[in-house]
Amino acid sequence: MKPLARRSVLRGLGATVALPFLEAMVPARRASGAVAPSNRTRLVCVEMVHGSAGSSAIGIKKNLWAPAAVGRDFDLSPTSLRSLEPFRDHLTIVSNTDVDPANPFTATEIGGDHFRSSAVFLTQSHPKQTQGGDVQAGISLDQLYAQRFGQDTAIPSMQLCVESVDQAGGCGYGYSCVYTDAISWAAPNRPLPMTRDPRVVFDELFGVLRSGTTTAERAERLAEDRSILDWLISSAARLAGTLGPADRSRLADYLEHVREIERRIQIVEAGNRSGEVRDLPSEPIGVPDSFSEHVKLMFDLQVLAFASDITRVFAFKLGRDTSNRSYPESGFAGAFHNTSHHSGREDRILDFATINTFHVGLIPYFLEKLKNTPDADGSLLDQTLLVYGSPMGDSNLHNHKRVPFFLAGRAGGALKGGRHLRAPNGTPLANVMLSVLRRLGLEHLERFGDSDGAFDLNAV
Amino acid sequence: MTTMMKATIATTILAVLTVATSVSAQHGGTDAPSLTGTWNMGLQGGHVVPVALVLKQNGDILTGTISMPTQRVGQPVDVSLKGDISHGTLTLTGTVESAKEPTTIGITGRLNDEGIIEGTLAMQGHDMPYTAERLKERK
Repeated sequence: MKPLARRSVLRGLGATVALPFLEAMVPARRASGAVAPSNRTRLVCVEMVHGSAGSSAIGIKKNLWAPAAVGRDFDLSPTSLRSLEPFRDHLTIVSNTDVDPANPFTATEIGGDHFRSSAVFLTQSHPKQTQGGDVQAGISLDQLYAQRFGQDTAIPSMQLCVESVDQAGGCGYGYSCVYTDAISWAAPNRPLPMTRDPRVVFDELFGVLRSGTTTAERAERLAEDRSILDWLISSAARLAGTLGPADRSRLADYLEHVREIERRIQIVEAGNRSGEVRDLPSEPIGVPDSFSEHVKLMFDLQVLAFASDITRVFAFKLGRDTSNRSYPESGFAGAFHNTSHHSGREDRILDFATINTFHVGLIPYFLEKLKNTPDADGSLLDQTLLVYGSPMGDSNLHNHKRVPFFLAGRAGGALKGGRHLRAPNGTPLANVMLSVLRRLGLEHLERFGDSDGAFDLNAV
Repeated sequence: MTTMMKATIATTILAVLTVATSVSAQHGGTDAPSLTGTWNMGLQGGHVVPVALVLKQNGDILTGTISMPTQRVGQPVDVSLKGDISHGTLTLTGTVESAKEPTTIGITGRLNDEGIIEGTLAMQGHDMPYTAERLKERK
């Protein structure tokens, strides 16, 4: 029987839903693993701003970010990474690297750290100080990967964020707001806009925005609380009739997952439309007030996108420089930016570590979902690489030394995981990113940002 | 020339150089490292605020600017500075003209052995310690 094409979709009026991996997609004469894993790695790059408590002098001594031991026998319990313990075998922590391109190069750039750092994180390039349209940084890590391996998916890459990033013009110290708001750069002069509203992401993933439906039709669907699956019932039933029992079950689970996420978005929209006082009154209807709910929705959408191979690349910006958002769910209600300016006091450094721990604590939710989602060679977690870090080190000093950074996932076997690697003093984070890109298949890349060499991610 | 004569001359030259160096350093003269250039000043308020300090040294005379942070985040104002260096201690003063009431800034500091200026910035009755490292200007 002719195998089902990997790019098969369920199509209905107003929506197109890509399918998850099904056994029916594997030719009968080939075993599982028929799809070459080398170019199937999913990449998620997560940026958090304001560095970490573990980058301060006290935080280093207390191992608030990097574990004390290098190698495989590291103890995560004092660190902000402790929630990742169940995934330690998928974890590669790289400590003691610097992001020098985020430093000032000229007198007028001194003091502008918050306004240029995010543009540096994934580019490792020094941004041009300008508030005009002549912005300049470098091609970002996610885009180098997407340009090479993302072109045969429906969407080469997507850029998501949690904080408001729609400010225009200049943000401070002569820097365009685009440097603060964008972490993905398709070209040195082409930052990519980021999407904050889960509804917009959902509609983009499932073809609603590309399906030819009118704004009025989409509004009608939203008003009636209908599901995009309502448009696909006959198409799904037709496909299910051609599948074996295991695939039928997998398809049903997948569509239920799509529906569950859509339902959660609808609940958020209904709550925000109800007239109840919001914590974030000026935000779009689709944006949850709860930080963790917002992040989890965004992660769920990424899992769906990976499962259906709509895209293989996400950049995800969790914060915005100088944001004073608070995270009561962390157990500490202080404002983020103010708390990051801890004056070197141990009690305040520990408060900041509580926020760092909370942020990292949202990652296992994503990793667990990936682990529980089948893919050609096992689970999606096996085929994914998550990059997490910040371009700032000790925010109290506004420096870019000893920045927080880790990798999660084995990237289709490219990384062994289960390691804490401490770089020699002065090592550019760009060396690590260069090696990440090479491991992901860009073997011939000679340099990345200010790299001056490679970094062995599988050492020990 | 005997060996003893050579040694006496060398000792005399060394002594003269030592006195000259000492006098020069006391006056911030030509043998002391020039402070001319851009300094990344870490001003210790509640946290460490990076501030640009640009200096020009001409003999013992110092002129320059400091980009002072304001209430409007990301919009510093440049304040002109004048002062001197004496016995290794730099002293600079300037006035923030754009403030509602002109505010005087006073900066004192010394260059330490590691090439870092350490000192205090006084403004509105508050003394804020700082360290300033020379910026390696890059394109």
